[in-house]
Amino acid sequence: MDPVKIILDGKEVVTTKGTTVIKAAADAGVAIPHYCYHPKLSIAGNCRMCLIEIEKMPKLQIACNTQVAEGMSVLTESPKVLAVRKAVLEFLLINHPVDCPICDQAGECQLQNYYMEHNREASRFELGKVHDRKKTIFGPNVIFDGERCIKCTRCVRFCQEITKTDELAVIDRGDHSTIALFDDAVLDNPLAANVVDICPVGALTDRDFRFKVRVWYLDKTPSICPGCSTGCNISVEAYQNKIARFKPRVNEAVNSHWICDEGRYCFHDLAGGERLTMPMIRQEGGLVPTTWELALQAVCTGLGAAQPLAAILSGRNTNEEAFLFAKLIRKIAPDAALEVFYQERELSETQKILMSPDRSPNFRGAREMGVGSNGVGFNALMQKLTAGSYSTAFVVGEDLIGPIGDSEKIHDALEKLSFLVVQDTRMTATAKLAHVVLPAVHFGEKEGTYTNRNGRVQKLNAAVIAPGEALPDSKIFLRLLQTAGEKLAYSTPREIFAALAQEVSAYKGLGYDSLGDQGAELASAGDGAT
Amino acid sequence: MEKLLLRNIGVPGSHTLATYQSRGGYASWRRVVESMKPEQLIEEVKASGLRGRGGAGFPTGMKWSFVPKDNPKPKYLVCNADESEPGTFKDRLLIEQDPHAIIEGTLIAAFAIQSHTAFIYIRGEMVFGTEQLERAAEEAYRAGLIGKNIFGSGYDLELIVHRGAGAYICGEETALLSSLEGGRGWPKVKPPFPATHGLFGCPTVVNNVETLAALAWIIERGAAAYAAMGTEKSKGTKLFSVSGHITKPGVYEVEMGYPFKKFLEEDCGGVANGKKLKGVIPGGGSMPVLKPEEIEKVNLDYESVAAAGSLLGSGGVIVMDESTCMVRAAANIARFYAHESCGQCSPCREGCHWMEKIFQRIEHGEGQKSDLDLILNISGNIMGNTICPFGDAAAMPAAAFIRKYRDEFEAHIADQRCTVRG
Repeated sequence: MDPVKIILDGKEVVTTKGTTVIKAAADAGVAIPHYCYHPKLSIAGNCRMCLIEIEKMPKLQIACNTQVAEGMSVLTESPKVLAVRKAVLEFLLINHPVDCPICDQAGECQLQNYYMEHNREASRFELGKVHDRKKTIFGPNVIFDGERCIKCTRCVRFCQEITKTDELAVIDRGDHSTIALFDDAVLDNPLAANVVDICPVGALTDRDFRFKVRVWYLDKTPSICPGCSTGCNISVEAYQNKIARFKPRVNEAVNSHWICDEGRYCFHDLAGGERLTMPMIRQEGGLVPTTWELALQAVCTGLGAAQPLAAILSGRNTNEEAFLFAKLIRKIAPDAALEVFYQERELSETQKILMSPDRSPNFRGAREMGVGSNGVGFNALMQKLTAGSYSTAFVVGEDLIGPIGDSEKIHDALEKLSFLVVQDTRMTATAKLAHVVLPAVHFGEKEGTYTNRNGRVQKLNAAVIAPGEALPDSKIFLRLLQTAGEKLAYSTPREIFAALAQEVSAYKGLGYDSLGDQGAELASAGDGAT
Repeated sequence: MEKLLLRNIGVPGSHTLATYQSRGGYASWRRVVESMKPEQLIEEVKASGLRGRGGAGFPTGMKWSFVPKDNPKPKYLVCNADESEPGTFKDRLLIEQDPHAIIEGTLIAAFAIQSHTAFIYIRGEMVFGTEQLERAAEEAYRAGLIGKNIFGSGYDLELIVHRGAGAYICGEETALLSSLEGGRGWPKVKPPFPATHGLFGCPTVVNNVETLAALAWIIERGAAAYAAMGTEKSKGTKLFSVSGHITKPGVYEVEMGYPFKKFLEEDCGGVANGKKLKGVIPGGGSMPVLKPEEIEKVNLDYESVAAAGSLLGSGGVIVMDESTCMVRAAANIARFYAHESCGQCSPCREGCHWMEKIFQRIEHGEGQKSDLDLILNISGNIMGNTICPFGDAAAMPAAAFIRKYRDEFEAHIADQRCTVRG
């Protein structure tokens, strides 16, 4: 890459040949306002918001489509540039309803932001505005308001270039131009809701999220999508201790700017429903609340009393939890069958852009922590369990009745166990059959690390607080290990990670804090475990 | 003056191959294929000084020379027959009465860039013109002038006549290419330019009908003969479509540099019905209007018209006499551009309609004093800030009408009615 020197607002900036001015400026910390430009989409050049002045050029140029040249002097704040920004904003707003108080985009709207930054003047337009379609449903997750649209065509280009599904098109002409579904298409591709994220204004909004909460009330926590083992980087955004939405977080090594719709909305399933808030123990007449001490004692006694044991960990458990779980099972039942939940489905070509066939975000990490190292494979374990080969079981974070195999047979097999421990967030069908139920927390209530299918270790952070007496799985495993007589020198996820980085060779050299918000690759990254 | 471009107009059967050939037609094409190298042809046209007649006046030979020779992709030559500029009807005359001259020019230009597929993109409304061109192309195919192994030279060239859907914007060369590709008629952002990334992403040259129609003559008589006509920088002859309040409206061919006033008064017979001239648009609806005193010393060439503050453009001369309401004329032009804006980029999409709405308000007696400066400001905000020249085409006439006839606009606003037509 040949270096190219440009003068940006009087300061020398070194960039590379072929870079556009908008990118070179962004890299140098100068944000040139724009609407239609998106780093992952083709150049449309239609909004004209990024017009900048280049010395010796008579006309202003769009920064998104101008390549740097040696010695080029770029002015991003000259009087001409400031004047054209003001003008473009005025043009974009003359037919806009300016209905911010009822618009879901308010607070994260680039029309609002740039207007405050670059215009701030009363409108000179006093003639009838052009009207367009309101609340037009584009697909199951996306709704369109034509009057708020600035025709930047990011959504159209996304469907042409990223998903290649072509659901959207521009129709009509002049100031009646608008975005519409092409033919009889429905915007229901597996990545469809990304158009809401890239829409710079309030034209495309999220049917699931809209009208739930004003965005400025959201608490945003960087984390990892628990939907599958791709490990898309997300921002978990919560209001009043409840997850309100997922937004993608840029990570070029993983998901670029996108997340899939399935992942985007998976929190409803994973974090919703009535929660377990106290440990429970089976007595005559059913499960009754108990104390943690009694429950943990009962688990140790019950699992130690009868063998063989089947131990199943959820694919959503963190590396730290998997590390402790493996230790715990080795301690109390060295011959136990120990597996991490795994289930695959067929994916379409569009799904494959981001999605993995599993629903176990930390499958690879759990295996590397030793869950499954002496096992027979999850499917074989389930077959043996269904056949009645085990007398006890410890099931963490998964409902075995329903998603896999013959649920009636699994139900019967679980019912026949002499001792069943279920550690989960909700009273699942499996939990209802348990002898002891331990209340745990979900992905959004704990911190730790996931290792995605390509061997990238990434950090999960707590976005909301767990209810009642529910505890993170790592805490439960630690207390069980203590109850079983093990003395451990670590307790927080950070300390556990340090310990596993010592013990698990693939993780040597990794530091919990140095993972940052983009994660780090294992030395063995790439050879994906399946 | 000898007619170059109109030489076959009015000749009975001028649209047929037989008549065209009997008058020397396709001799240049034969000469090009049999004895000229593409580089030689490009040099010849460069030497003639021929400039693009679509409006921009870019040197034709130079445009051809931008096509990369080492690019392995197919190359395309496109004849722009999407004549839609208000007040312009010169190409239509050639299309309907001398289609073979256009085809011959298209073939010569295609040879210059070594294209094996050429297109004629014709405006949707020109149904008869399309039929004429298609018939002529078929005749030329049957005569072996187009197709495989032309004149036994081994050179193959296909010609496709494609009828557009009638959008003004498709006369802009990159919008024309988008339309020809089957997409929305949207101009493309430049760079890249058509010479390297044109039709279907391949090297492409788009030339206007009138430009191409001059080629056979240039080959026949030589570049020097062509360059001997006109001015230092504007060579040869040019067609002018004259309309409006003029005694003899029609299509005229004059040598570049011909005095504008003499042209109107003598060639065209002066303003109709003995009335006085109020204004004249020299180059089609998108060019600034000129007042009578501004054309006194203007000659019909690119430089002279530009020096007077307008542009030669397409040569669409619109004459307006003293009875013309300039508010209504401006509103009419503004309505055209508002209707034809493709809607792709913000300043044009929003600005053209905004200007039109204000012009209409003034025209209907509801104008405000501040409206004139507002239009000037809007047109300034559009000018130079859009993807394609359409924005300028809408902004320039709007500003010119107000600047030059401000009194009339102010009177129209003050009296809340037209003061010219009563």
